[in-house]
Amino acid sequence: MLQRKRWIFAMLAILPTLAIFAWVRLYPIADTLRLSLQKWDMLSKNKPFVGLANFRELMGDHLFQDALVNTTIIAFGVLIITIPTALVLAALIYHRTRSRFAGFYETAVFIPYVVSLVPAAMAWKWIFDAKLGPLNVLLSMFGIAPQAWLFNPVLSVVCIIVLCSWQALGYAVLIYIVGFKSLPVSLFEAAKLDGASGPQSFWYVSVPMLKPITLYVSVVTLISGFNVYAQAFVLASDAQGAPGRQVRVLVLDMLENSFRNYRVGYAASEAVVLLAIVLVLTLIQFSLLREKGRS
Amino acid sequence: MISTQRLEDRTVSTRSLARAALIGTALGAGLFGSLSAAGAQTITVWSGYPEMAPFYEHVAQGLKATHPGLNVKVEAIALREHEKRIALGLTSGEAGATVIELSGSTVRRYLENDLLPSAPADVSAFVKDPKNFDSFFTNDASKDGVVYGMPLFRGQASLFYNTDMFAKAGLTHPPKTMDEYTDYAAKLTLRDATGHPTVSGWSLRLSGGGQGIAEKFWTILFEYGGSVLEPAANGKWKANYANEAGRKTLKQYLDNVYTRKTVTVEMPADAEAFERGQTAMFIRESWVISDIAAKAPDLKYATAPLPIGSIGLPTNLYVKGEGKDAKAAWDYVMATNSPENLVWLLDKVGWLPNRGGVDYSAVTKAQPAFASFVDYPQGYKFFTLPSIAPIDEIMTRLAAQLAAAYSNPALAGNDAAIDAFLKSAADETNTILSREGLLAD
Amino acid sequence: MTEITEGARLRFRKKLIDRAIDLLLMVFSVLMVLPLILLVSNAFKSPQEMLAWPPTIIPHAPTLANFKAVFGETPLLRWIGNSLLFSGLSTVCIVATSAFAGYVLGKFRFRTMNIFFALFLATAVVPFEVYMIPLYFQAQALGILNSVWGLLLGYLVMSFGIFLIRQNVIHAIPDELLEAARIDGAGELWIFWRIVLPLLRGALGALGVLAFFQAWTSFAWPMIVTTTREHYTIEVGLALFQTGFTVDLGRLSAASAAVLIPSITLFVLLRRNFVQGVATTGLKE
Repeated sequence: MLQRKRWIFAMLAILPTLAIFAWVRLYPIADTLRLSLQKWDMLSKNKPFVGLANFRELMGDHLFQDALVNTTIIAFGVLIITIPTALVLAALIYHRTRSRFAGFYETAVFIPYVVSLVPAAMAWKWIFDAKLGPLNVLLSMFGIAPQAWLFNPVLSVVCIIVLCSWQALGYAVLIYIVGFKSLPVSLFEAAKLDGASGPQSFWYVSVPMLKPITLYVSVVTLISGFNVYAQAFVLASDAQGAPGRQVRVLVLDMLENSFRNYRVGYAASEAVVLLAIVLVLTLIQFSLLREKGRS
Repeated sequence: MISTQRLEDRTVSTRSLARAALIGTALGAGLFGSLSAAGAQTITVWSGYPEMAPFYEHVAQGLKATHPGLNVKVEAIALREHEKRIALGLTSGEAGATVIELSGSTVRRYLENDLLPSAPADVSAFVKDPKNFDSFFTNDASKDGVVYGMPLFRGQASLFYNTDMFAKAGLTHPPKTMDEYTDYAAKLTLRDATGHPTVSGWSLRLSGGGQGIAEKFWTILFEYGGSVLEPAANGKWKANYANEAGRKTLKQYLDNVYTRKTVTVEMPADAEAFERGQTAMFIRESWVISDIAAKAPDLKYATAPLPIGSIGLPTNLYVKGEGKDAKAAWDYVMATNSPENLVWLLDKVGWLPNRGGVDYSAVTKAQPAFASFVDYPQGYKFFTLPSIAPIDEIMTRLAAQLAAAYSNPALAGNDAAIDAFLKSAADETNTILSREGLLAD
Repeated sequence: MTEITEGARLRFRKKLIDRAIDLLLMVFSVLMVLPLILLVSNAFKSPQEMLAWPPTIIPHAPTLANFKAVFGETPLLRWIGNSLLFSGLSTVCIVATSAFAGYVLGKFRFRTMNIFFALFLATAVVPFEVYMIPLYFQAQALGILNSVWGLLLGYLVMSFGIFLIRQNVIHAIPDELLEAARIDGAGELWIFWRIVLPLLRGALGALGVLAFFQAWTSFAWPMIVTTTREHYTIEVGLALFQTGFTVDLGRLSAASAAVLIPSITLFVLLRRNFVQGVATTGLKE
């Protein structure tokens, strides 16, 4: 009887959330899957079923391939920059926890994560500007010729990686700092007794101990890397004076296909590919974690 | 009034009198409310050209006398976002009465899906009157002979050139052939000690999102006798640039960027660069005249027609809405085409009005730069973007291809590679046409 | 004697290393905020100085003209207001749904609940962009485009929030406490309201800050949901302000700098909550 009452409460308490969840998450996700098998121009009433035709077309679509390659490079580029930098920074900040500047370090590193994206991207756009930007001034001091940062096919991708890493770094650092705080102090003391130097205990004690956190941060960074959009949009906005090269990324291509080319079904099939990539990456993370648990 | 009559007919207790009075007030208020609503329409003007906003405000001001309660909201944003909000706003059917500014080619898809109403009889008669509009404009605003929109202005390109820079380079007249364009560009380019261009000889559209790159490419392609899309019988189309004209066009771009280095991809470009003296010449629409007047009034420049002809991209006004709001919106649309307003448009904004039979000479005399747009040579030709549903997709994809080609030095001077590139781009264009059942055999 | 000097030497060495680390961190911290400082500096530059080469870090002749122009020409305050309202409402919804669901999933071990939890968890990794377009058509069908409700539709629940609260419920609320209350005859709702919520205050506060900034910095969704100028959020307003015909970098910087003020103020005020919120994320996996 009591059990039954509790069950009723539990159901009543969770039902609103569940309903909202089904409405704004499950249904749209299912709808994406359905749309990816249809041809729909957004305006007409009929949505003919086309099977896997959208996916077949994606295979041969060079803009999509371009977007996929760019997005993958960006996601992994951000990962490769962010994780080691964040780990080292977090170790240093943790080491200086008692310094009166510790709060400043944390805030400074974290602020890019919370400022609105457009102002941030604006600032970077100016920094990268070939004619007016400070970056080229700095380079010329070292005798390096000015670069067309936002126009060169390779450099424009680098710009986006830098911008995304700048934003992603704070989150990773913060998680790592918390990770360091949760490590048992006795471990470091033992390492010290064994004569390990600071860098040594960092490399042989902290890094392996923090592996689960590294995996978690990696997946979060990778997934948000695959969703990059606003950065590419702002860095190559259609300003007349200096447009910048449009770095095509998956979300941008998806939105262009639905709202410019009126091909919602086709865009949905792109979304499904994005979903598949993210799921595979998450599965890899889980299996890595499990392996760790076994060893 | 109704309630007062009732009161006179009956003898009533004070209580019900009070009640009736209340009802009467409510009725009266309702009546008054609906009356004022009849006089107070709100219409929204959606424009894709921020510089057009003052014009739409000006038209609204002029309507104050005849439509005292009319409230006009002007929302002008960048073209790409404008087109997106139409795609989203029209299908949602909740925008109220809206005046929508769109090119005839883009609007096609909405007409095919019955998302925009045809024009009322008086507007239709006005648009069909050959005294008002050349058939080119009437057709652009119609589908199957039915008028849907009101022609307003057109994008037409001319050469803008800096006369001071021309004089310094010893050039006395604007270039007349496409070969001359490249020669001029080479002479006009200013370089630093290392040979790097600091002022481009001829500013070309080499980067950016959207379809701008493809439109500019088409303009030069047209001077060589080619076109991105060529019509065939029964409303079908075919890519027409994987040929000699296409090769010459792309070669000219690459020649300027890589061989003669008269311009680089990252240099400041377009109107902004021209106004700041960072480029000697460029091809653009007439709105630049007003932009220069506002931002660089001391700039010495002139305009010249292009060698063969120009793009002529008409923009029309359409109305989405019902009842009295729609009526007010169409009144507003008619007012945009009054001679007084059109002269104001040309003078203050600089876009070319499409209506004929209006005396624009006051403006064109005062600003000689307009001459090349209005008094173009005999036999000057025009092309426009075809009114087919996938036009934006075709142009956007071509733009992406071209942007890649422009930044590929390996293509410069390699005819075989250029041909291969054009072939693959044209194949893509034809694939889209074929998918939509629009490809000519 | 030698031992003491040895110890002093070591201490000195340690101090030296600490100073070096401080210096390094200081330089890095400044580099991190430098882009934002440059942005603010640009906001005070005149158009001529904007084009000057080499660029200046501190404006020679600071001017307020850019700010005046921006506030005169754009409904910047309205956009900030829209963003605040949207983010605030989103925070309330996410905190409420997560509190209920997190508590139930953490303390009511029925099989159905486990299924629900698996459901929440499974969709947590699906990027928003994947189902954004169908969700858009839902908003359209409801007629809530161009309104704060339309914006809210995408930010009503947060899988991660449910997960976060559940972890906290499991770790911070002892079963005995709940059982004791039940034995005293307390109703389930009373327990939730009077015992559970107060104990979760910290975690809910942290989640609230996370949720707020998630909505505040959202871009792709507001970009498609709002199509009229007066309904833009600040991110969309700024992004579109930039795509106007010719860009005026000074004004754009002024607008951006003005927007930085609310975000940074909020962050500095809520930093403790934020750090704690991030701290509790995903670490118990």
